[in-house]
Amino acid sequence: MDAFLAGMATLTDPFILAMILAGTVLGIIVGALPGISGSTTIALLLPLTIGVSPIAALAFMGSVYCAANFGGSITAILVNAPGDPSASATAIEGYKLAERGQAGLALGMSAVASAIGGIFSVVALIFCAPLLARAAYSFGPPEYFALAVFGLSMCAAIGGDGRVKNLIAATFGVLLATVGIDLTSGVERYSFGIMELSDGINFVPVLIGFFAVAEMLDQSTRRAEEPKLIAMDAAKLPTRADFRKCNRAIWLGSIIGTFIGALPALGATTAALVGYNETQRWSKHKHEFGHGSLEGVAGPEAANNAAVGGSMVPTLALGIPGSATTAIILAGLIVQGVRPGPHLFNEQPVLLYAVFASMLAANLLYLVLGMGMAKLFARISLIPPTVLWPAVFVLSVIGAYGPNQSMGDVVIMLVAGGVGFLFRRHGFSPAPLIMGLVLGGMLEEALKQSMIIFDQNPLGFAHRPIALLLLAITLSGLLGPVLLRMLRMAWLRKEAV
Amino acid sequence: MRTLPDRVCAGAVAAVAVAAFAATYSFDDVPPGLAQGLGAAEFPRLVCLVLLGLAALLALGPALRQPPPRVPATGWWTMALSVGFLPLMMLVGMLPAMLIVLIAMGWLWGERRRGLLLGSAVGLVAGIWVVFVWLFKLSLPLGWLGERYFS
Repeated sequence: MDAFLAGMATLTDPFILAMILAGTVLGIIVGALPGISGSTTIALLLPLTIGVSPIAALAFMGSVYCAANFGGSITAILVNAPGDPSASATAIEGYKLAERGQAGLALGMSAVASAIGGIFSVVALIFCAPLLARAAYSFGPPEYFALAVFGLSMCAAIGGDGRVKNLIAATFGVLLATVGIDLTSGVERYSFGIMELSDGINFVPVLIGFFAVAEMLDQSTRRAEEPKLIAMDAAKLPTRADFRKCNRAIWLGSIIGTFIGALPALGATTAALVGYNETQRWSKHKHEFGHGSLEGVAGPEAANNAAVGGSMVPTLALGIPGSATTAIILAGLIVQGVRPGPHLFNEQPVLLYAVFASMLAANLLYLVLGMGMAKLFARISLIPPTVLWPAVFVLSVIGAYGPNQSMGDVVIMLVAGGVGFLFRRHGFSPAPLIMGLVLGGMLEEALKQSMIIFDQNPLGFAHRPIALLLLAITLSGLLGPVLLRMLRMAWLRKEAV
Repeated sequence: MRTLPDRVCAGAVAAVAVAAFAATYSFDDVPPGLAQGLGAAEFPRLVCLVLLGLAALLALGPALRQPPPRVPATGWWTMALSVGFLPLMMLVGMLPAMLIVLIAMGWLWGERRRGLLLGSAVGLVAGIWVVFVWLFKLSLPLGWLGERYFS
């Protein structure tokens, strides 16, 4: 309780409040900018957070993460261009409402549903993360190995073109994590005499390259259309009747979002799409969907914001990222010298509760800012891409150079940008690679320790029920769809005969 | 018919896996005192084998996409400009190189409003100077010209 109160008390620190305000405003702005997602922004700004305390850094990154999802809905509703991928489901109904002259109502419902979803998930985080961490205290290296494998296997479900490509990206990330000196033997691996690689691949330039530079190169291959802004007076608070109508959608979205967010690798975009589908399934006004349904805005918005708190649960309690953005936040924490995991709840409880408090504050803040300044934020989408993307490149350079003041990091960032561009062109998502890079070290360490515990006999995993269960779930998750497809094909063949 | 790109991707992934696997044989030997359990090379080898298996699955699996569209000239020039930033920076220093790249890239992407191009570029570079040099006391590379005339 003392830690909880101390964590909440950090909100009285003007610097922390300023970081939350800056993170929220920035989150809404970048969320509203099509192409620049919350993950890109956090990757770009990661170097700036290295100079401040871990609490301030986490408050800032958490606020950007919370607000970017909401910001994405502004342009999704007014321009039909989701600023953040997680707002793509919102655009379906939100833009239709805007075309009917109800943009203010759609934005108001989006702000309220987002805030409710976000607050619901932070409350879930406050209660669930310590429980999960307590359970994880009984985890040894075999369980952590199995958990990391499970987390990586979940990458199969992230965007991109297919499960195999996602798994390839994740495995490639794990391979990248082996670059540098092996900590147990002191042997250099894949550094090829390059000094910058001896300490391993630096997270920051790789993250910036894969998310920001690769996106910039990708944008350069497209002709961006001039966005057209739909006129509106102001965001309106939904009436009591609107709330009654959307009540079920908001709570359904909040629960779905929190659950999906808590699963490793799955983030806000998946939550929003599932939230939209389930809202439609359980709605009493199904006929409105596709023609501008307010419930169709409330459900996915509550879901994508609830996924934020949900994805922080495994990130903080287990050190397994719940989404691509939390993988970047995790990398930021590691750079700061903080290793998330169950021990954090004993060693640095104030830090954790300060994070929870800052996320709660960010959710309330973007509700106020979103309602009051939605019209202004929507204008951000009109920044010409000819100015925006060159600026992203320049910020990437300074972001990669800043932390170590090393030109080697700028080169790594450019190489990562080139590889990331190739990845995108050929349907590989960058998120699994980042997950692999972040989890790779833990995976290797846990496997090595497990093998020592098992006296080099891999069958030792069979004697650890939790590890065995996690590995079984992983295997069934990977092989299940393949077996199902084979069964369906066999059944179809039989029917044809 | 299976489209070419997925096969090419699978081939590229397999080549990376084989090269990385082969490179593990160039690692130094683990000192005998530390040689307990999995060594420095075993884990990367395991990862390479998984990568190779996944590449095979990609090659054998159903085609999922059409070949990606051709990269337009703007794309190639943007890449060239990104790579060219490094030698430019070594010559004129980081901040002037940023200014040049901001203007050149904006022009390349089709921005013809000179006031907007120049104003946004100068504003951003000035902002970077304020935050990183003035506030965070970061020393940015001056480049050959900068070191010759300003240091």
